[in-house]
Amino acid sequence: MMHHDFERDLGADSAMTLNQAGVGCDVQIRVLSGPGCERLRDLGFCEQMQVRKLAHGRNLICSICGTKMAISRDLAEQVFVEPVSV
Amino acid sequence: MSKEAKTIALVGNPNVGKTTLFNALTGSTHQVGNFAGVTVSIKIGEMFTPHGDKLQVLDFPGCYSLKAASKDEQVAVDFLTGKIEGEKQADLVVCMVDASALERHLQLALQLIEMKLPVVIALNMVDMAEKSGLRLDPLKMSEELNVPVVAMQADIGKGVVELKQALRLPYPALADAHWKAGKDADASRRDFILKLCAIAARRPDQHQLTLADKLDHKLFLHPFFGWLSFLGIMFTVFWAIFSLSGIPMGWIEAAFEALGDCAAGIMPKGDFQSLLVDGVIGGIGGVVIFLPQIVLLFFFIGLLESSGYMSRAAYLMDGFMSKAGLSGKAFLPLFSSYACAIPGVMATRTIGSAKERLVTIFVAPWMSCSARLPVYFLIVPLLLHEEEGSWKQALVLFSIYAVGTLSAFIVAKLLRNKLGPETDPQPFVLELPAYRKPQWPYILRHVAKRGFAFIRKAGGIILGLSILLWALSTYPKTDDEGVDPISYSAMGRMGKVIEPVVKPLGFDGRIGTAVLTSFAAREVFNSSLSIILRVEQGDDDVETRDRMRERIHAATWPDGRPLFTPLTLISILVFFIYALQCLPTSAVVLREAGSWKWAVGQFAFMSSFAYMASLLVYQIGSLLGF
Repeated sequence: MMHHDFERDLGADSAMTLNQAGVGCDVQIRVLSGPGCERLRDLGFCEQMQVRKLAHGRNLICSICGTKMAISRDLAEQVFVEPVSV
Repeated sequence: MSKEAKTIALVGNPNVGKTTLFNALTGSTHQVGNFAGVTVSIKIGEMFTPHGDKLQVLDFPGCYSLKAASKDEQVAVDFLTGKIEGEKQADLVVCMVDASALERHLQLALQLIEMKLPVVIALNMVDMAEKSGLRLDPLKMSEELNVPVVAMQADIGKGVVELKQALRLPYPALADAHWKAGKDADASRRDFILKLCAIAARRPDQHQLTLADKLDHKLFLHPFFGWLSFLGIMFTVFWAIFSLSGIPMGWIEAAFEALGDCAAGIMPKGDFQSLLVDGVIGGIGGVVIFLPQIVLLFFFIGLLESSGYMSRAAYLMDGFMSKAGLSGKAFLPLFSSYACAIPGVMATRTIGSAKERLVTIFVAPWMSCSARLPVYFLIVPLLLHEEEGSWKQALVLFSIYAVGTLSAFIVAKLLRNKLGPETDPQPFVLELPAYRKPQWPYILRHVAKRGFAFIRKAGGIILGLSILLWALSTYPKTDDEGVDPISYSAMGRMGKVIEPVVKPLGFDGRIGTAVLTSFAAREVFNSSLSIILRVEQGDDDVETRDRMRERIHAATWPDGRPLFTPLTLISILVFFIYALQCLPTSAVVLREAGSWKWAVGQFAFMSSFAYMASLLVYQIGSLLGF
């Protein structure tokens, strides 16, 4: 069921992975999907949280609730985000 | 009420300040860093409540949640869930959370409350949180969670008394996990945390760019300037160690000389005087003189860790390390190994992947440790024919470290490929803590601890070996004027036996003997050489050094060729870069890798590699006419 929603989101223009988000952008986490989900949630990457992507490369740097975290591209691929609605 | 001391467990995410708080509560002096994973095993201490009740405090390695992902997290989880047999569960859990990242840290606190454990929340680093614009309300938080919340700043001791008050009996009643609703525990916890933060920790602007952000963006993590500053910092550290240590080294040398002169003046000439002056004072002096360098190295590592730069370096190095099949997580263990492989090998516990951890343990001793420094400092100036402290020497030293490091990476890559793909891949995750002012008291205490450990070693194993070496090089004696007393002595004979083995490396029996003795401890090489070459103490330190140099320059093969040619010196250096000459390291590897095969294999591989590398360097160098 959840998977269905998630596929529909992917179809929408606004949904993208954290890898695809631009550097310096503020995004909101829409959904997590993949084997690294639990780890990501423990680190604070939860649905609805706001993230600012600070750097892109082999690993990404994000600022999430006041802390800077570096996570691998594999993990970032499992984080689906959308631009923050103003 | 039982007489038995109650047990308090300190838990929290990595790098939240648990060890700082543990030290503040128990008055002990454990090492504190600004890097996730400094605590890799449980520390136990004692403290007293304001009422005088004794409490046992356990400091756990940091964990992000109770679903352990790496070995050090597993320790905390096993204890808290009562899985460790023979250990009772904690009577009270102090969950430490970072006030500026509550959304992340409260996850663990809520899980603890759900486990029906009595919890006190220590809200740490409130100063940093408030500086970043966060408006905290600990009272509101306490009301919502139904557990005591103590605001504190553990590094300067603020709030410690209030926390001690909260640890009095009776302990707070078990809180009800009232947020639990529906089927998904994670989701209900998250919703509650978001609501709680909206009430008790309001952020005026989610993403203000702090100074640290700007520093990271423009300098330390910049694709180009990041590397430039990394190399600059590392080079400065090595240069500073080389040049700053000269002054205290002069003092130590002068002190040992005065001691030697004094002993020689008081005692009549004879075997006992020779034992004391040449064996004991000369032997220990030759090693203790390197104390300033070792102290400085540990000081700089402490400084980099405490300021928060170390994790930036780990981030930068991740790409580089991946080429060797390792991740950025292996950076701290390997970097610590530059000081000493033992803490380095122990720090590998933070690496989640088992295979990566084994590979890191295997190559860690090739990061040139501080015990090799005395040998390098003896040899490098001889190679350059210059005074100590020049930039050229720093450059040579830097290359020595680079050679060891690069070889370690190549071997790591080969070994990693041999071990096959990961069965349970652990994605790379690293927290980049805010830059902090270094915690001087802790750095200084840590440095002092390492310095004393070095001196203890000099007083124990090195003293014993110095006496043994003196005896071997003195007895049996000969009255024949025409016979060199050294080559007649037991050591001289030993040298002749091993000479055929080490001759292809460019060593004669004397260097061979010195190298052999250094398998007990690398630093012994210097004392051995000065005893074997019979270096006498001069009137001042410059003279003594000159005499050591003269002796080394004057040493020849029996046919009159100079012994210490530049090629031989390089061959010695290469041998010391690669050989695993440290029994305590092998013991720690045995414990951490959990198998004889790894410890013995590592020793055999590194020692034979060192022999082969020196052999190649000397033979190829000779062929090229050096």
